[in-house]
Amino acid sequence: MKKTGPVEIVKPKDLGEAIAFVRKGGMPLAGGTDAFVRIRKGFWDPPFLVYIGELPELREVEIREGGAEVGAAVTHAELLRSEVPRRLPIFRLVLEKLGAPAIREMGTIGGNVANASPAGDTLIPLYLLEARVNLVGPDGERSLAIEEFVLGPGKTALREGELIVSFWIPFPEGDPVPYFHKVGRRRALYIAVLSLGALLWLEGDVIREMRLALGAVAPTVVRPREVEAKLRGRRLSHEDLEPLCAELSAATSSITDIRGPDWYRREAAGRLLLGLLRLREA
Amino acid sequence: MKVVGKNVRKVDGIALVTGQPVFTLDVTPPGAVVGKILRSPHAHAEIVRIDTSKAEELPGVLCILHHGNVPRTPYTTAGQGWPEPSPYDSFLFDRKVRFVGDRVAAVAATSEEIADEALRLIEVEYRQLPAVLVPEEAIGPGAPVIHDEEESRGIHDPQHNVAAAIDIRVGDIERGFTESDVVVETTCEFPYVQHVPLESHCVVAYLDEEDRLVIRSATQVPFHVRRIVARALGVPLSRIRVIKPRIGGGFGTKQEIILEDVAAALALRTRRPVVMKYSRAEEFVAARTRHPMKIRIKLGAKRDGTIHAIEMDVLSNTGAYGTHSLTVLSNVGSKTLPLYNKAPHLWFHGKAVYTNLPVAGAYRGYGATQGYFALEVAVDELAEKLGMDPLKLRLANHIRAGETSPIFEKIGEGRAGKAQVVKSCALEECIREGAKRIGWKEKHGKKTSEGRWVHGVGMALSMQGSGITDIDMAAATIVMNEDGSFRLLVGATDLGTGSDTILAQIAAETLGVAVEAISVYSSDTDFTPFDTGAYASSTTYVSGGAVLRAAQEARRRILEVAAAILGEPPESLDLEEGHAVSRGTGKKVPLSEVGHRAMYVTDQRHIIATASFVAPESPPPFAAFFAEVAVDVETGVVRVVKFVAAADCGMPINPALAEGQLEGAIVQGIGHTLYEELLFSPRGRVRNPNLFDYRIPTAADVPDIEVVLIPSDEPTGPYGAKSIGEIGINGPAPAIANAIYDAIGVRLYRIPFTPERVLKALHGKSMG
Repeated sequence: MKKTGPVEIVKPKDLGEAIAFVRKGGMPLAGGTDAFVRIRKGFWDPPFLVYIGELPELREVEIREGGAEVGAAVTHAELLRSEVPRRLPIFRLVLEKLGAPAIREMGTIGGNVANASPAGDTLIPLYLLEARVNLVGPDGERSLAIEEFVLGPGKTALREGELIVSFWIPFPEGDPVPYFHKVGRRRALYIAVLSLGALLWLEGDVIREMRLALGAVAPTVVRPREVEAKLRGRRLSHEDLEPLCAELSAATSSITDIRGPDWYRREAAGRLLLGLLRLREA
Repeated sequence: MKVVGKNVRKVDGIALVTGQPVFTLDVTPPGAVVGKILRSPHAHAEIVRIDTSKAEELPGVLCILHHGNVPRTPYTTAGQGWPEPSPYDSFLFDRKVRFVGDRVAAVAATSEEIADEALRLIEVEYRQLPAVLVPEEAIGPGAPVIHDEEESRGIHDPQHNVAAAIDIRVGDIERGFTESDVVVETTCEFPYVQHVPLESHCVVAYLDEEDRLVIRSATQVPFHVRRIVARALGVPLSRIRVIKPRIGGGFGTKQEIILEDVAAALALRTRRPVVMKYSRAEEFVAARTRHPMKIRIKLGAKRDGTIHAIEMDVLSNTGAYGTHSLTVLSNVGSKTLPLYNKAPHLWFHGKAVYTNLPVAGAYRGYGATQGYFALEVAVDELAEKLGMDPLKLRLANHIRAGETSPIFEKIGEGRAGKAQVVKSCALEECIREGAKRIGWKEKHGKKTSEGRWVHGVGMALSMQGSGITDIDMAAATIVMNEDGSFRLLVGATDLGTGSDTILAQIAAETLGVAVEAISVYSSDTDFTPFDTGAYASSTTYVSGGAVLRAAQEARRRILEVAAAILGEPPESLDLEEGHAVSRGTGKKVPLSEVGHRAMYVTDQRHIIATASFVAPESPPPFAAFFAEVAVDVETGVVRVVKFVAAADCGMPINPALAEGQLEGAIVQGIGHTLYEELLFSPRGRVRNPNLFDYRIPTAADVPDIEVVLIPSDEPTGPYGAKSIGEIGINGPAPAIANAIYDAIGVRLYRIPFTPERVLKALHGKSMG
């Protein structure tokens, strides 16, 4: 196997210099949990790396009116320890399943999103909460909905010279019940074979409103809005959910890879819906 | 017992945990260069032309070896005793490549980067040959012949790709099944799995000041390395010295000579120290694996549950070379069939076949692991068909102390075996104790649900051996210092198992001193006596037997000197707490005085004793395994909730270390059962040669494991001991398979039990 590296790493003194470096062809580096592995394995050969992991603008977690602003270089562990999971408990469910402690201490939310893996764990809450991605580049700032930002496996709407600065995560109305189920063979350090996240607004056991996000079953994380719509008004019961399993399966466009065959993802995705019944027990 | 049977701390523990430079590559000789191997991109091809001129021009490249410039001597890479039971079908470098990753050439260069660049500059023209990746096709008509070279020796049927074959009959199998009231037949499949030792294969080879070849290697078999490298390179054995430092795990893969021969050849050619190390990817592709197998098993039983006839039909895939092909195949039967010795009618037959896939070899369990998966799943099915509790069926049929099996005599190490009566067996107590701890009576057949998780319990039995009868020999030397301390020199190969510690305990017990009074050194072919090596569950029993004898002899000599000092007959003296003590008068003399007198004062001599021990038989350890699993019926994910192993390893010399062996083997077995499998592309390339895609259990995946040692007293073992290193790995696959059946009523016959396999089994064949 061809190895690449050693690779030069530059440390910009501020955001402006970081953008200038990136414009010159440098690739952003934050936690390095993915970048270094890919470089070492020879899958990636960047001209040089721009270390953005300590830029103050990218490091803040701020709770504001109506939402949270989370810097792109905030690590998963920092986010887990912040105020955010208390206001948005779906983040706790997801981040506790992400990698293992060492990965969580180094890896960042911006890196996870920029990788644009359909199995990226942090994408699930960002899709569910309809987060926006704040970007800055040579032409100034702009902001995109997460679903507009992620285009496909490894593909994003980032333009040349642009960096992710932060995420704006709006607080949802009311107090939705969070749900997350990540399927994999192991209990730690695993990439999801598939995953399902949900937010449910319940009245008794009736679903008033709900959002679903499926991971690792399509080129991007999927919000099956038709299934969401059909779930409104249904009870949290086996009889009410079971008929929609097949529809949820149909919302996937899985591939076969080393972690599992397509039919399994399709089939299991539908069945994951029944997992919501556990919320009734709780 | 003062020292034996106690949880003495590992003698090398402090050095290991404080990071002392104790491993093979921790110290590099000055002027060392790096060796690297060019590997085949094709599963089966002839090397038409190899041009190394561009690579040789690269500054820093010292030497390139390939089939055109090395001796062509057939040998086996299997580090086994003599006569070597594996075929001589390997060459240092060959004109042909037989799997993706096979050796093509090797480079020595002044840096790793230059060596890598040199590998890229070697031009090789291949003529691709049809490859065969499926064992059934390899022995079918028209299959390409993988070993068509003239020089190979000992291949059973090279024209049909059969490396080894076996056919053993006891009684009349046809009659056996006709006389049986109930017959079950099932086929189980074991895939390619890898050892994944923390430390990959690595070696340093250099010429010493007298021009002798020194090989410091992460090996389980230093003496076999010396013999095999001598053969492969045509160097006199007397000119080779092999040093085994601390080892970072082996599990059988380091019973193979796969790097020492190349490093030695490069060192001889360049006259520079050569350092070589497998990358993790090479470890997956070009080290060794367990033999993948398909085992068809048929059991016949009487209505009362007496097992009456057993047929086992094995198709073993040895990959591109036949290392351990015959002996692993033999062990599938020889280590399993004696367990159910009530059956008078047995037929054990099978083949180990070549394919153009990575090379299988020795792996902890050594065929027994594959055999027990099939046997113990079949026994579970038999119990169901008989309407019997599988625990009772096993109790009714398993071997007891004082009993024998014709298999002991029929199957040996690549030849006939030797009759043997089991002298110690606490299996019945193991079964009862394990059943109690898992809650068998309360749980079996009464699956419970917790939401989507359905729980079930399953069990399996196993036996193994302790060394290889009449073949495994170990020697040990005990040297007394003048201060009353000792040096223990053993060829036995501690590879992380703790064998240095238990051997010190055996010596200390015999010499009446604390373990701290014994310095253990293992192993160095120049300075320690011979030992076949760390494999076949032999160290405690065989090497321990040698240490016991050497210590007894040293003791006799010490007592002679002490008797002269005390003026009493040696027969009246004991060794206790560092003293020779008279039983009659209570008079005593410290060993320091004995040592000093012997060395400097009167009738001077150095108190040294060397003794050998050859396994007179192979007393089996026994174990009963119980698993409780939870199956997620929505996703097919299986979790082991609790795993209980009750084992009889004779009298454990160091219970904590014995339990550690059992626990480690169980975790490795759970890895096989739920996670691990090498995957191949249609052209035979390994698709997951890394720990990202080939998953082994993490600490978070280790379930609640409860191990309990039920002692028995083995009269032929040192202080009653038998082995414990391998047996634990035989339990998880069948126990978990049977537990899954108990939970969801579906049988799974192919490991690993991945979520998709479980889901497919649960919801029928409509999927996928």
